[in-house]
Amino acid sequence: MFSFILFVLLFTGQQDQIKIKDAWIRPGAQDMNTAMYFTIKNNGSVTDTLYAVKSKLAQKTEVHETYSKDGMMGMRKAELVVIKPKSSFEFKPGGHHIMLIKLNKDLKSGNEGEITLFFKKTGEVKVKAKVKKPDIKKGS
Amino acid sequence: MIITKNKVRIFAMAAILTLSLYSCKPKLPVEMDLSREEFVLINQDSVEVTIPEILKNKISLAGYIFTHCPDICPMTTHNMYRVQKKLTSEEDILFVVISFDPDRDTPSVLKKYAELRDYDLNSWQLLTGKKEEINKLLDNVGVTAIAADSSFTESGELNYYFLHTDRISLVDKEAKVRKNYKGSTADINEIINDIKSLE
Ligand SMILES: [Cu+2]
Repeated sequence: MFSFILFVLLFTGQQDQIKIKDAWIRPGAQDMNTAMYFTIKNNGSVTDTLYAVKSKLAQKTEVHETYSKDGMMGMRKAELVVIKPKSSFEFKPGGHHIMLIKLNKDLKSGNEGEITLFFKKTGEVKVKAKVKKPDIKKGS
Repeated sequence: MIITKNKVRIFAMAAILTLSLYSCKPKLPVEMDLSREEFVLINQDSVEVTIPEILKNKISLAGYIFTHCPDICPMTTHNMYRVQKKLTSEEDILFVVISFDPDRDTPSVLKKYAELRDYDLNSWQLLTGKKEEINKLLDNVGVTAIAADSSFTESGELNYYFLHTDRISLVDKEAKVRKNYKGSTADINEIINDIKSLE
């Protein structure tokens, strides 16, 4: 019985290790690209790594990062995102974003979209988000 | 009349105060003059427009973007939109978006970009055009856009992204650029104050 409880605790602990907060998607037109943002919280005691992402919203979904070079701005694919225990990682405008390449349909304010994140430890995590204009307050 | 030390002190303080008040008033030098050469472009409704013609008699904010950009460029145009939302209705400002990706940014693509974001096309002009003409304009204002990172979709289509200058410019009623801001992270209040200082 004890080991069963322990198993349940460990199992649910594992499930709760990664939490996704404040997800939103920038509006985008069909065949164009747009970005999704959120905060990944690692409540667990071990490091976890985001290594892949999938969605039916676009022809291709990738993890990207915005960078600056010679005073200009660009963006590129980012391979792995490591989230240390008891810390969070923010996907935000001007930084990391989920890049939705060639949207299958218009994503307008008020629409909803879902993507799946793949973590090495936690496994699959589905993320639902509303399409909306960026928050005025956040300066994005 | 005896000039006491105190009087000198008061006079000096008054002088400093006057000077500092005067220098607080922002004075924006001319950064570039867009009135000297003509650039023939096409707007979101496929109507031919020329710079400097559309910039005359109105204060404008101009942003440089490509619409396939999912992060930086929409932040830039969103900042322009935020300026518009924050301004009072008496201010008649023109919002100009210039694409440095004319191959993909056709008038209809630009129009859809604006509509999806609720940009009021009565006060917004999204411009594309012939590559030579766009490049001539970019050279003039010192905006650089280099095709950099790219990827292929499953259907084999190439998707490329630019490494580009991130800019919003404030243009006065004589088509002269008076200030440049970093487009995606621009301070809205600074832009609004600068607009007011030109009126
Ligand atoms: Cu991207």
